[in-house]
Amino acid sequence: MRVDIQSLGTYNRLAQEGAEHAAASLTQMTGIETYVDVTNVTLMSKQDVEDVFGGTEFVGVQIGLGGGLSGETALAFDQESAASIVDVLVPGASADDDGEFDEMAQSGINEIGNIMMGGFVDGWADYLGASVDMTPPNYVERAGTDVLPDGALDRAEEEHVFVFESQMTAVDQEIDAYIYMLPEYGAFADMLAASDDHDDAIPMDKLTVFDEMTRQGAQQAAGNVSSMTGIETDVDVSRLSFVPIEDVPNTARDEVYIGTVMEFKGTPGGYLAILFDEPSARTIVDATVPMELDEPLGEMGESAIEELGNIMTSGFIDGWANVLQTSIDHTPPELVHDMGTAILSPIAGRLGQSQEYAFLMDSTVVTPEGEFNCELYAIPDERKLKEALDSLLVERSDQLEADQESLF
Amino acid sequence: MPPKVLIVDDSDFMRNLLREILEENFEIVDEAENGVEAVELYREHDPDLVMMDIVMPIRDGIEATSEITGSDPDANVIMCTSVGQEEKMKNAVKAGADGYITKPFQKPNVLEAIDDVVA
Amino acid sequence: METYGRGTNSTRTRRRVGIADFAVTDDGAVLTTSGLGSCLGVGLFDESAGVAGLAHTMLPTAPDDADNVAKFSDTGIDAVVSAMRQEGAAVDNIRAKLAGGSAMFEFDSQEESIGKRNVAVGRTTLERLGIPIVAADVGGDSGRSLRFQGDTGILVVKSAGDERRL
Repeated sequence: MRVDIQSLGTYNRLAQEGAEHAAASLTQMTGIETYVDVTNVTLMSKQDVEDVFGGTEFVGVQIGLGGGLSGETALAFDQESAASIVDVLVPGASADDDGEFDEMAQSGINEIGNIMMGGFVDGWADYLGASVDMTPPNYVERAGTDVLPDGALDRAEEEHVFVFESQMTAVDQEIDAYIYMLPEYGAFADMLAASDDHDDAIPMDKLTVFDEMTRQGAQQAAGNVSSMTGIETDVDVSRLSFVPIEDVPNTARDEVYIGTVMEFKGTPGGYLAILFDEPSARTIVDATVPMELDEPLGEMGESAIEELGNIMTSGFIDGWANVLQTSIDHTPPELVHDMGTAILSPIAGRLGQSQEYAFLMDSTVVTPEGEFNCELYAIPDERKLKEALDSLLVERSDQLEADQESLF
Repeated sequence: MPPKVLIVDDSDFMRNLLREILEENFEIVDEAENGVEAVELYREHDPDLVMMDIVMPIRDGIEATSEITGSDPDANVIMCTSVGQEEKMKNAVKAGADGYITKPFQKPNVLEAIDDVVA
Repeated sequence: METYGRGTNSTRTRRRVGIADFAVTDDGAVLTTSGLGSCLGVGLFDESAGVAGLAHTMLPTAPDDADNVAKFSDTGIDAVVSAMRQEGAAVDNIRAKLAGGSAMFEFDSQEESIGKRNVAVGRTTLERLGIPIVAADVGGDSGRSLRFQGDTGILVVKSAGDERRL
């Protein structure tokens, strides 16, 4: 199947507008000013979904969709956010000793879910020119992936799923809410399918393969950090999502990072940012540089971060180059120390001159003991990515390693 | 007399690391930060071995290697880089590189690769 | 729509402006935006009407078929000005303050950086509208966060640990 990027963009916009309606409803009902942070469409395997949701306790509402748009939705709050909302919405309702909400509270959450999801699907129904039916809300308090509708993951067993995700955040409070929508794969694929003569189409099977290659690239990059620091690492999340170009900067958190930015040129070409929060950068430098350093990192510390960026970049892009039997150059790493959004903004700006959406590959490298974490953002140029996918031979997708022995 | 080595890498940190690994058994004649400096310092010192990074500003390591081996066919150059792309390795071979070490490396890998080249 | 709970009618004092987004206030709200790198922040204030607006634009010039006018410095400024007029502002009384337009990296400043071009287009657009720029904190290589006080028109710029009031 080939996917039409324009229609993927249209659906992303519908989800964004839907989430804005939902956030407006939340604001209206609670008086808590909220906004939509990011809306993305992610292509996920079951493993991805588990990585993303793993380990977090959610309170939420599940609602099934039918009619013009079939699939499953969930509105999810973390426990504390739900408590804040219940507190405003149903004063007097409370959680018991185990943190479980009483019936009044649950009913409040159900009602808010009903209204928010109603707002979310309205735009879809208008666009599709068909009514979208909603099942009654089903209240859930669950850990991790269980907050997702039953059956959603069973389908992911055999194929990837598209997951629409919108994050909503309160302006003045620590409240986060998420809307997930998992359209039924077959029906949605039909909605996305491009006609054969479409120039702008992306081959879906190859995109999935590329996603897998990228995941392995992130593993390689993580392995390289381990070699340099002697600290065991793992890739926590690695996903390929489709976002409006102006949302790219917001995928980094609103905090200060130290890291490096590289431009890579070839097929594919694009940009890569490797970002550490400040304590993580310090930990990395202390583990790598065998000397006392000035504050904050000293010249040698900054050089170590640059070199780490260099080595991680290679880990990340070399697999692409070897599978595609091409070479991908990258600029020397540039050290950055600033807010995440500000760091990503010129990248979005440069790509935004020729594309409205971006395929964003973000990965998080973590350590078992929580010594540090590292966020990788790879944002290929859309045209270059398409060229790369066109020339990708699926049967070569495991040829990530160069055959150095035969050359030297 | 210990063999003479020229270290070429744009990263302070990496030059430092290589120096620590090599200074016991080699004479480090100089350090270059880019491909242009590498060619100049090679002519000046005529070292027995060059440890050459690939991705550097101004001029990359493959171009510099090509120029060095072009004027001195006996030059010993070991690429010492994070790049693990087969096409790049082929280009390095074409440019006249004698060995290839992929970062991140451990001391024994480096010494072993040098043994293979400077016998 | 039915409303629920307490606090529904409380005045909201802070409004967040995203990227490729703008907001207008006629009740003195504080308009904020964060993580401006190469993007441009434009604070507009009509003191006599008590109307303020803040835009956060990403790209210099809009194409003819722009889907989101707030994304571009030229159409974004036009949009916030017309929204302010709907709230009672008069173009002749509007004053502008600019912030942002950094070149965060070297490869970004090759050719002319997006940041520089955003600032240039911002200036031209305001000139076309006849809106004077009374203060600017633009360029450099650091990100900025903005707080625009809708009651006073003061623009607070935070950047690299520094705070400046324009």
